[in-house]
Amino acid sequence: MLLRLGAGWAIVFVPNLVNSPNPAKAREKRSVSANSAGRSADFEAEALPHLDAVYRLALRLAGDEMQAEDLTQETMLKAYRAWHQYKSGTNVRAWLLTILRHTFINQYRKAKRAGPTVDVAEIEAFTVFHNVMEVDPEGSFFNQIVDDEVLRAIDRLPEEFRETLVLSDVEQMSYAEIADITGVPVGTVKSRLFRARQALQKELYDYAVEMGYIKKADE
Amino acid sequence: MTPPERVDCQQAASRLYEYLDGEVTPEVEATVRAHLAECAGCFSLFGFEDAYLTFLRARTQARGAPEHLKKRIFERIMLDKEHKETK
Repeated sequence: MLLRLGAGWAIVFVPNLVNSPNPAKAREKRSVSANSAGRSADFEAEALPHLDAVYRLALRLAGDEMQAEDLTQETMLKAYRAWHQYKSGTNVRAWLLTILRHTFINQYRKAKRAGPTVDVAEIEAFTVFHNVMEVDPEGSFFNQIVDDEVLRAIDRLPEEFRETLVLSDVEQMSYAEIADITGVPVGTVKSRLFRARQALQKELYDYAVEMGYIKKADE
Repeated sequence: MTPPERVDCQQAASRLYEYLDGEVTPEVEATVRAHLAECAGCFSLFGFEDAYLTFLRARTQARGAPEHLKKRIFERIMLDKEHKETK
């Protein structure tokens, strides 16, 4: 069933397919998918609700809105055309983000901005906690930092750290899902995430000090 | 049940994010939890990092795809579908 709407589509409920694969349901879906109307209804119901997630990662990878929109559109169209390859009942969001990532790497990365990035190798093993434990051990200074500033700081992370952090902390994906999408072992995800979070924390702390949200610890 | 294995601060800290992300086995979880129960410094550090992750989530999740893009993609897919059907 297709509902053409003025400014979007009607999607009401997406079952959580990630954690509860149900073979009976998957079979039932596949038989529905046999005809084209069922197929695109499935796509609408299962894939389109993840468009926000696709766009958010596209924006962090591409770095500007126009490219992110093109990248999102291309990803969704590729996914629609390859929908018969998608196994119903598996993780549709991870599947979409994998397509997005490949599309980005193959077609967009060349044109990517080359801004200054944080040198993740230089990040010390540990946490700004030790700098703030005397004055703000609960980290309430973080709450004074606005969304845009956080996103800007994320954008300064090197790409592989940025995408790992976005998948984890923006999209709430598990280590195993991130490993799947980015094509690296779970151990690599762990270490990238660790360093990305620490690097970002350091950036945000420096910013907070600069803005006077928190007093710099005595050197 | 055997009591959890004891770990020091450094070992606990090496599991910091895995623990906060709920990505450790029940055994490791029990081990870290036991350490936090008796070490005020680590307890405080884990609390700080937990607040940091909560803050990150809150600051990055609000925005999704703009409406005009949703509309464009929907129309593009419809076009693709019609094209396929006329073939």
